[in-house]
Amino acid sequence: MAVRALTLKGQGRDPGLVAAFVVMSAVLLGFVLYPTYRVISYPTLADYLAVPANPRWLAAMRNSLMMMVLSTTTASLVGFVYAYGMTREDLPGRRGFRLISLLPLFAPPFMVAFAYILMFGRQGLVTRALLGLDVNIFGWQGLWLVQTVAFFPYAALIMEHIFEAINPTLEHAARDLGAREWTLFRTVTLPLARPGIAAAMLLVAISVLADFGNAVVIAGSLPLLATEAWFRIEGLGDLNGAALSVSLLLLPTVALFIFERAWVSRRLYTGITGRGSRLARPATPWFFRWPLFGFCLIVAAFVLLVYVAVLAGAFARTWGYNWSFTLDHWRLGMTQGGAQLVNSVRVGAISALLTSIIALITAFLTSRRQWPSVERTLDFLAVLPGALPGVFIGIGFLLAFNAPPFALGGTPWILILALTFWHIPFGYQAAAAGLKQIDRAIEEAAQDLGASGLRVLKDVYLPLLRGPFLSSFVTSFIRAVTNLSIVVFLVTPRNLVATYSILAMIGGGFWGAAAALTTALLLVTFVAVGVARVAVARGIRGLPVA
Amino acid sequence: MRRTTIIVSWLLVGVFALSAGVGAQGTKVVVYSALDSAVTTEVLKAFERRSGLRTEALTLAAAGTLSTRITAERARPQADIFLGGSNDFHAPLAKNGLLEPYKSPVLAEAKLAPEFYDPQGYWYGWYIGALSIFYNRDRFERELAPRGIRPPASWDDLLNPALRGQVVLPSPVTTGGGFIFVATQIFRLGNEDRAFDWLKQLAANATFTPTAPGGITLVSRGEAIVGMNWGHDVRSMAVNQGFPVEMVFPADTATEIGGVSIIKGGPNPIGARQFVDFILTRTPQDINAKYGLRYPTRTDAPAPMGMPGLTTLKFVKYDRQWAIDNQARLRLKWQQVIGK
Repeated sequence: MAVRALTLKGQGRDPGLVAAFVVMSAVLLGFVLYPTYRVISYPTLADYLAVPANPRWLAAMRNSLMMMVLSTTTASLVGFVYAYGMTREDLPGRRGFRLISLLPLFAPPFMVAFAYILMFGRQGLVTRALLGLDVNIFGWQGLWLVQTVAFFPYAALIMEHIFEAINPTLEHAARDLGAREWTLFRTVTLPLARPGIAAAMLLVAISVLADFGNAVVIAGSLPLLATEAWFRIEGLGDLNGAALSVSLLLLPTVALFIFERAWVSRRLYTGITGRGSRLARPATPWFFRWPLFGFCLIVAAFVLLVYVAVLAGAFARTWGYNWSFTLDHWRLGMTQGGAQLVNSVRVGAISALLTSIIALITAFLTSRRQWPSVERTLDFLAVLPGALPGVFIGIGFLLAFNAPPFALGGTPWILILALTFWHIPFGYQAAAAGLKQIDRAIEEAAQDLGASGLRVLKDVYLPLLRGPFLSSFVTSFIRAVTNLSIVVFLVTPRNLVATYSILAMIGGGFWGAAAALTTALLLVTFVAVGVARVAVARGIRGLPVA
Repeated sequence: MRRTTIIVSWLLVGVFALSAGVGAQGTKVVVYSALDSAVTTEVLKAFERRSGLRTEALTLAAAGTLSTRITAERARPQADIFLGGSNDFHAPLAKNGLLEPYKSPVLAEAKLAPEFYDPQGYWYGWYIGALSIFYNRDRFERELAPRGIRPPASWDDLLNPALRGQVVLPSPVTTGGGFIFVATQIFRLGNEDRAFDWLKQLAANATFTPTAPGGITLVSRGEAIVGMNWGHDVRSMAVNQGFPVEMVFPADTATEIGGVSIIKGGPNPIGARQFVDFILTRTPQDINAKYGLRYPTRTDAPAPMGMPGLTTLKFVKYDRQWAIDNQARLRLKWQQVIGK
């Protein structure tokens, strides 16, 4: 350690590295902080002060917080139990359950809401055609159900890692000491998982607050901060009101985010024990296993229904009235949305590439330990977009980059760059985690042989970080092609994208065409994931994908 | 790894090249269209044939989005023409100095009534939409007709307690149509207090959708039974799509005037003027009547097929200036008094 500290201190500041620091700081300040500043400062102080006098703003704030509490609670609870089931090695069909829990992560963010209208609305396949019920799904109850299904996978994914990391020897030890199943769960599993639960709940809470896609489709007349921004612009051309509503939304998301960073992420105990043990987990008793299985089955059914609904909607002539088979929706969907779909792929690929490159370089720079204050700032700027709702970024870029010196309006770049910088945290965290696993000795060896700072990045880290790079690319790509919250504010005449057309089709009542285009978009994302998996299998390995 | 470096540098070059090059062309006419894509495509095709110019369109059937965009692009306008959308969007843009006035020589021949254009030439009205009442026939006949309830045909019919929870209207706070509806009630009932009493009763029956088309979808899908919306949108989105929807224009209805205007500082000012001249001729008005079912402002152009003649509709005495001047105040009052 002492030797390493000496070499780092002793070496002079590498000019290439200094340049890289300056460029990345400028880029992140310009594309993350500047748009943020523009949005917050767009409404006047008087506008902010007038908020308490305006019942609609108050209702929107109240409703957003209410949905956050409701959906976060249920989504985390479902995710927790589901993840617990997935990590029981003797649960029947656990691999299938795991796969199904990943499905919503590939879906466009409005898809669950759209599918549930088809399934559970007044003309719903389940509610009306099968059960003969008359149900109004629009409103907070419908949104609650939809957000629970849409966001439980986030919680399940985090919880799964936590449960996996709990060393089975602890369970064995507890059992040997005579603990019964419930006591074991209460006194061993739960305390170890608690910080993970908190992390999962915070992530879900931020996602629920920022949820635009589901809310815009199913919330009905319920005012919410995330959608109010869009309604203000679409219905009234009221840019001021839109900036105001996303600024109000920023308060709780940033608060949650800081809380997560400062408190929760420091208290994850499970990493300490690592995954050293190869010991099998003790068997789950039947009275635990079968209810767990039943629960997972129901949740999985709700997820699969989303896909069934959209697929069926793409082929049924007039949903609810005429169930005969037709290809007309595909014809309409492809003529009105085919070119947009191609463009979605292009925009997604370029932005995902930029995201991954910028994230990798930033992660490399923040691991230098040369300029602590600059590195901390860079680190903050690279994770900050995670706290910004998509609608906020959309309006931020609309305000910041339509005038010189950064006149990107009317070009595809305004959308591409907005998506790029919104997704930086994903790539950054993957790359930072990957970097931590690489022994510094490799780098020191390269430096002893005379390699400069940037040469180290290029010849040592880049080849080793292909895994995180690829995972960052795929994640960013999927999120970019399925994005709606940023897209609605930044599409340009020559650069319409598929999600925008789908929203217009849903709003215009062309549900069949919307379902067809959504199906096509899903195919694109699945192909992307498939290609990435093949690439990994073919040896683009580097470090294991986080 | 040299390859990665090369790719990155090319990407950066691309960013700058693309961001610098746009906005420089002047032979195309760039149109922001708030109409549906069928009408926009046909109108632009006709214009290209007539003028020999090329066009490019951003079609977003949401006038507010386009007016926001025009506002945001103020420093560097990307488009020449703002086509469609109520004059409630065009007039504020003119007031904020974002439009270019133009006295079209075609105006004399078009013989528009004075209410249909801006005297200084900031915007011209080239179509008219009227508010209508519509209902889902299936659900109405199943649930309401057996109880002896007649199909709604007047504004007061919307207050029928039998329709509780089954009426959808576009929100007066977030849509232009919803606001025109509220103003209509004020003009119809003679004063604000009476109108708000009436609206309070309506609110007990109704839900208000944040977007205008949202309500049409709800009724055509049977999620609600009765709605209020623009007649041409009801026809094209619901009736002509095969949904069981009936539509009627009530007495004392009101209109929106669909406008066209020139964006100040756009890349092709000469082409923009040619475009406005063209829009005031009969061809685009006939196209809009045929594909969009909207009424033309020219008296020599016939009403859309299947729609009642404009002269058969009974309009309320609508004071547009008063409505625009009191818009912000009435919207806030709506939220405070009605709370929806």
